[in-house]
Amino acid sequence: MKSRFSLSFLLSILLFLFASPALTQNNEIHVGTSVALTGKYARTGQEQLQGFQMWVEEVNERGGLLGKKVHLIHYDDESKPETGAKLYEKLITDDKVQLLIGPYSSDVTLAASTIAEKHNFPMVSSGASSSEIWARGYKNIFGLYTLADLYMDQIIELGKSKGLKKIALVYENTAFPRGVAEGVKRKAKELGMQIVFEEEYGKASTDFSSMIIKIKAKKADMVIGGSYLPDSTGFMRQAKEARLYAKIFAFAVGPGLPDFGHNLGLDAEGVMGNTQWEPTLKLPGAKEFAEKYKVRHGHEPGYHAGGGYGAGHVLEAAVKKAGSTDRDKVRAALFALDTVNAFGRFKVDATGKQIGKPAYAVQWLGGERHIVLPEEAATAKVFYPFKDWNKR
Amino acid sequence: MELLEPEILLQMLINGLLAGALYALLAGGLNLIFGVMRVINIAHAEFMLIGAFGAYVLFNVFGLHPLFSLLIIVPIIFVVGYYFQRVLIERVVDRPMLTSLLATYGVSIILINVGLLIFSSDFKSVPVLQGSFLIGDLAVSKPRAVAGLVSLVLSVGVYLFLDRTRLGKAVRAVSEHAQVAQICGIDVRQIRMLTFGMAAAMAGAAGVMLSIIYSFWPGSGVDFIQKCFAIIIIGGMGNFVGALYGGILLGVVESFVGGFISTQWAEAVAYLLLVTVLLVRPTGLKGVARA
Amino acid sequence: MPENDQRSISFWAGTVLVGLALLAPFGVNEYYQSFLLQVFLVIALAQAWNLISGMTGYVSFGHAAFFGVGAYTGALFLTWGYPWWIAIFNGAGIAALIAVPLGFLTLRLRGPYFAIAMLGLNEVGRIVATLWVSVTKGGTGLPLPPSLLPSLDITYFMMLSLALGATLLIAWVHRSRFGLELRAIREDEEAAEMVGVNTTRNKVTAFVLSALIPGAVGAVYAMYTSYINPASAFDPARNIEMIVVVLFGGSGTVWGPIIGAATVMFLREMLWAQFPAAHLAALGVLLLIVVLYLPGGLVSIVRERHRERPDARPGESP
Repeated sequence: MKSRFSLSFLLSILLFLFASPALTQNNEIHVGTSVALTGKYARTGQEQLQGFQMWVEEVNERGGLLGKKVHLIHYDDESKPETGAKLYEKLITDDKVQLLIGPYSSDVTLAASTIAEKHNFPMVSSGASSSEIWARGYKNIFGLYTLADLYMDQIIELGKSKGLKKIALVYENTAFPRGVAEGVKRKAKELGMQIVFEEEYGKASTDFSSMIIKIKAKKADMVIGGSYLPDSTGFMRQAKEARLYAKIFAFAVGPGLPDFGHNLGLDAEGVMGNTQWEPTLKLPGAKEFAEKYKVRHGHEPGYHAGGGYGAGHVLEAAVKKAGSTDRDKVRAALFALDTVNAFGRFKVDATGKQIGKPAYAVQWLGGERHIVLPEEAATAKVFYPFKDWNKR
Repeated sequence: MELLEPEILLQMLINGLLAGALYALLAGGLNLIFGVMRVINIAHAEFMLIGAFGAYVLFNVFGLHPLFSLLIIVPIIFVVGYYFQRVLIERVVDRPMLTSLLATYGVSIILINVGLLIFSSDFKSVPVLQGSFLIGDLAVSKPRAVAGLVSLVLSVGVYLFLDRTRLGKAVRAVSEHAQVAQICGIDVRQIRMLTFGMAAAMAGAAGVMLSIIYSFWPGSGVDFIQKCFAIIIIGGMGNFVGALYGGILLGVVESFVGGFISTQWAEAVAYLLLVTVLLVRPTGLKGVARA
Repeated sequence: MPENDQRSISFWAGTVLVGLALLAPFGVNEYYQSFLLQVFLVIALAQAWNLISGMTGYVSFGHAAFFGVGAYTGALFLTWGYPWWIAIFNGAGIAALIAVPLGFLTLRLRGPYFAIAMLGLNEVGRIVATLWVSVTKGGTGLPLPPSLLPSLDITYFMMLSLALGATLLIAWVHRSRFGLELRAIREDEEAAEMVGVNTTRNKVTAFVLSALIPGAVGAVYAMYTSYINPASAFDPARNIEMIVVVLFGGSGTVWGPIIGAATVMFLREMLWAQFPAAHLAALGVLLLIVVLYLPGGLVSIVRERHRERPDARPGESP
């Protein structure tokens, strides 16, 4: 009896030995990605994937890449860096994709890019902006986003011009929010403003009431959050409950998404945030993309969807320039590329870091998201100061 | 230092008491089960999440206010708990404690992951009762106040039931000494099913209350069950009233740690308390803890 | 089957398996090599858990804590410029070192109290890794630069030797006086003490050994995945896996964890990329089935034919 068990175990090992599939189709180019479809980064990850899928469709309508059909293989990393790393390992060694698109969030990208670097596989990253990613001397990670450090610059300058002095800063304890916080601290120091309160919170934190009490006690003029969608909405809801008031409320990521206004309703009014992209920007193909996206998904695309779409175009431009999907040629092409697509300009420095794209600030006004800064791209005027809770 | 001003301390205290009332309701149920059948139900927090997701579904499908769905969810979870005891826990109740621990652990894993299959790991919330009550300078969050008060009322209700009614006295008798209770003519099996049903219903009610305060996902239970362990070990295992005090204590301590140190430390307090108490006083602070 | 036959079958089956595992890197692609590496990882962890929980009956719900300590120690030593083998050595060493005082403190607790204390300790580990930002970088985690990482072949053979070492250790303990005393503790601790077994020393020794293995495994894991953060190093799912693998295969036995690991990993491979939740739910169902219907695990089905009673499951002693 016992030997039978050992035997079946042996057989299963043998099965693995011989079951190594080595099929590579010649008439298709496989592109691999994993984004968060569930978990904390789910909404943003879904948007990014939808944007990318629209590029896949369009490129196939145009006759494909290098005359071959593009086939997308995607997984869900559950917003977990460790799962993301495992999935990129699978994409490269098991699915044997020819091209890679990065995951959503700096957090997951930090882990996944190490895998890409290990295999010397160029990866176009549309969903990451923490400068930490490009500070490691890697040669295979190419960013689309404006860096996290710059996200809040214009908003802090606005605060300075209005004579504000005290900033309260809260942020999640992972790569991107910390990057935003670093930027805020640098800018505040430059302008001689004071960080009167600073605190990190965990990825799973849902209760911000203690922080809010303290911010209230410090009488901050500006509240800035290095956040994602769930924490920025949670924070604003609890800020209202505790009657926390500041002249400016600004958060990363959250206010750039339609869900922010949808979830908070009138309480979103006046909240500021950052954006990488808006459909209103004058960029080639942006308007067409936004209209098509709206028809398909029922709402205006946010910048995460735009980023996914833009990543596709960057990949397309690089492969065309390289004339093949050879990793070394694609990498060289990505370094050399300077192009403008529906998402904006793409130009990286020697580390693969994005240096061609500016940052924009948005504000929720009348139930809509508007670019308010810089002025040349603005679709509405800044509303200042934030309306107090009891006057709404 | 501005944190020492009286209204800020008062604000922290109120927040802590309200959160603590919710913990008390949850941990009270866990201790009730432990008292009556010496089973530690690791899946207890998952019953809470069944309540929370129940409220979420009722709100999104029928637009039902969580305070109304409480009236639907609590009886349903009572019945679920009653039969859960009958089908599963009865089989392990007289076996060694670790058997039931592993069995409820299995149930907890299954419930969490079935929850993930149905609801995914997105954070959900039920956005009703926004804003706050203003008492002078104090702003007391409406959802928190309601959740805290409802939890308190329910806990006190269960306490009165145990203290005053015949059935409640029977529950306590089984908790004190099951064999003697049996001899006295109490149907111990029936009492056990009733107890589990009641405890599950308390967890479910806590879940409905949770849904109006925080955002939650199927894995949220892990933090809560560990907080419950800390609470019942502080308050005494099997001691219902101890769990109520323990719960409120934890809520207040968390609130002050959050205020004076940081939110991340507040989230860690329960674990640190749990481990410290167990390592320093292996039998817990008081109660029936026996190996 | 007589005892001798059984032993020689075990020996030959073991030799063939090890031989295959040694040859595998030359015959399979990287992905399947990675898969086998993960099977070894689970086997090594399961054997470690088997040592403390299967043998002595002290069920730990938090052995992932030592895995996490090892993972962080290994990753840190690697980033500080030490070679990989020193990093692994330190991962194991620090985990064992921490286990000494913890063993003395926690093993005073019985049954469920020990289980809960360990569950809490794993969380404490996660908290320390989150809050000790200056060293661990907190929630951001530690990505390891590829230039410092050993190759897949090295990590593969390291993990294989850990699984093999852990299994041989269990096999030795099984037949030694030490193992006999551990089983005496499982059956009745007071009685064991009365007949002169130094229960504390034995328990703590078993505990420290069972922390050393996950420590080393964690360090190798960090090098294999090249990225760790508090959630992945102190992952509660790893505790579930250890417990289910051992109980399913048969606790307190040498082959049980191996058979359990093979089964569970096969299941996981079928499910994880597409249905991560389904894989864990299936583990929960397995756990429930084993607890209710199959107290001795898979191995017991084989054993019951020729032996009076299967090994008792942990905690079954009164």
